[in-house]
Amino acid sequence: MTAPSAGTVEMTIRFPYKRSLGPVIGAFMTGLAGQQILGIRNGSEVMCPPLEWDPKTGKELDHGALVEVGPAGTVVSWTWVPKPSAQHPLDKPFALALIRLDGADTALTHAVDAGSIDAMSTGMRVAPRWKAERQGHITDIEAFVPGEDPQGLDDSRPEEPVTMMPYNAEIPYTLPIAVNTARNAVALKEKRLIGLRCPVCSRTYAGERGFCPIDTTALTAEHEVQLPQTGTLTNYTIITPVQYPGQTETEPFARCMILVDDSDLVIGYQPVIDLPVEQVRVGVRVKLVWGDGDIEGWQPTGEPDVDDPDLVNRIY
Amino acid sequence: MSHQPCAVVGVGQTHHKTRRWDVSLGGLVREAATRALEDAQMDWSDIDAVVLGKAPDLFEGVMKPELYLTDALGAHGKPMFRVHTAGSVGATTGIVAAHHVETGRHKRVLAVAYQKQSEGNAQFALGSGRGGSLGAGGAFAPYMRSYIARSGSPLDIGPMVAVKDRLNALKNPYAHLKLTDISLEKVKESPMMWEPVRYLESCPSSDGACAVVLTDEEGGKAAAAAGRAPAWILGTAVRSEPSTFPGRDPVTPQGAFDCADDLYRQAGITNPREQLDCAELYVPFSWYEPMWLEAHRIAEKGRGWKMVESGETALDGDFPVNMSGGVLSSNPIGASGLLRLAEAALQVRGMAGEHQVDGAKVALGQAYGAAAQYFSMWVVASSLDPFGR
Repeated sequence: MTAPSAGTVEMTIRFPYKRSLGPVIGAFMTGLAGQQILGIRNGSEVMCPPLEWDPKTGKELDHGALVEVGPAGTVVSWTWVPKPSAQHPLDKPFALALIRLDGADTALTHAVDAGSIDAMSTGMRVAPRWKAERQGHITDIEAFVPGEDPQGLDDSRPEEPVTMMPYNAEIPYTLPIAVNTARNAVALKEKRLIGLRCPVCSRTYAGERGFCPIDTTALTAEHEVQLPQTGTLTNYTIITPVQYPGQTETEPFARCMILVDDSDLVIGYQPVIDLPVEQVRVGVRVKLVWGDGDIEGWQPTGEPDVDDPDLVNRIY
Repeated sequence: MSHQPCAVVGVGQTHHKTRRWDVSLGGLVREAATRALEDAQMDWSDIDAVVLGKAPDLFEGVMKPELYLTDALGAHGKPMFRVHTAGSVGATTGIVAAHHVETGRHKRVLAVAYQKQSEGNAQFALGSGRGGSLGAGGAFAPYMRSYIARSGSPLDIGPMVAVKDRLNALKNPYAHLKLTDISLEKVKESPMMWEPVRYLESCPSSDGACAVVLTDEEGGKAAAAAGRAPAWILGTAVRSEPSTFPGRDPVTPQGAFDCADDLYRQAGITNPREQLDCAELYVPFSWYEPMWLEAHRIAEKGRGWKMVESGETALDGDFPVNMSGGVLSSNPIGASGLLRLAEAALQVRGMAGEHQVDGAKVALGQAYGAAAQYFSMWVVASSLDPFGR
């Protein structure tokens, strides 16, 4: 069953990962930077791309037993890509093919720039078209092309062995917006703080929660309650931000637990306003400050602190 | 619930480091798996099934690593399973592997867990790729503040745990952090990261892997007859609970109590403090040692810190905790849970080397994950009937 949805939102996760390649793939990538394609001996067979171990038995292979294969080879299977995406190696229609390079017994997956689907066939002969700027990556071969002759040969060889590979991940998501999330967003725009009260256990949840996890009860519009926009700070954390790609914070910042007045709801990890990190403490009385269609944070009211030894335990 | 006995006959791990750029991901897991197979005196062909565990895929950006690593782990033509329960995943991986043996479905199972944190950034991954990530320390700091307030613990207890675990790590050749000049003063002078937790009271980011080989009663007895001590599994338990609901207490989570109670019942333990000889607990931040001693009924409520203060949890104390140096000294997150179970097994096999607890016969290995909402643990012993039931 799909949960009722109130539309979708797009988001993309990006991160520059670093791969360590190890002795065999490292040698393979170093070979590519120097326009050489390497396979590895596995008994009487040669595997290209090479692996560190025999995939059938798990036994370690002799990592020094690398041999040059190709550069030309035979297409053993293929599929046509009529509309390449941004992540594909070519920006025009091409074939993704399994290519058994001369001297190898296994096939390498790569692009074939054949111009048209009609030019593709199983058993056809292909050769690599090298990029001029190579970094020790599978895309150093721009694509394979029909024929026996490699293209783009030069005498540039890598100065250092290639040991690492950058992997810039970019994953776009289309996320459904839950009905409760949408209704909560409307309330926030109208500067209303809403909660959802479980009809079974009477616990109050934040306005976008879809269910009570204790009673596995669905929470819907009929369980909505209007909450006061004041509360007490029960516990907190001060974060010294670590820098990473996508980080938005540079200075230490506080995230606080707020027990909303007249309810049992603690809203977790909330920003605070006009309360410097060194003054953040348990018991501060706060009121909600509205931003543009959302909670901007919680600001001290100036009332005396609440002195209750159990308050610090209200993390949830 | 009756099942067949299961024994740990092989344990292997990598040398954990900030960066293991000398090996590929496959090379990293094989290093641990190869050592476990050598310890078990088995070859890849002896293994019937492989169970793989790791923390979220965003850590390394390798989606479906169980497919990618099938070749590296000799799983061609065999069942391969992936387990995921956040930070507790390593322990859950060992337990799932044990269940395959206990049910009689497989005779020899390889459990492997890993993390290669250097390929990505944990803070990024824990923040689901968004800015303003709290990280694990930031998320857990309120729990620790609550523990200190309710237990009345002196503030030195956290630093004392940190010193103890770092001293233990000096005796463990595989441990990541080796801080030879560690002292209470050094810990207290280190930067406050997520008040009340300081830098030296926190776990590192590590690259590493752990593997264990599990086998049935026949295999365990054969290993024992050949002079290779097995660790017999007396019980396994896994529990989870919702992360947030009004009134949830993450300092003494119901899931932890339920999990420990189930575990002790299976193992025939009525007095954990007396019947267990030592425990390897998931302590990524110093205050988790006293918290977990209480939440697993080893110490009475409010008295966990007293076990630390009195030195009972030191390697030469009455109830050693985190003999390996613990998560505070090595934290390849996905592997950390299995490392806890593996250390418990090494102790009762008498194979823990310099960090061996003299005469350890029964040991607890435990891990937790996410918002202290997943729990996985086992009790292992040097014999199938250590309490003469």
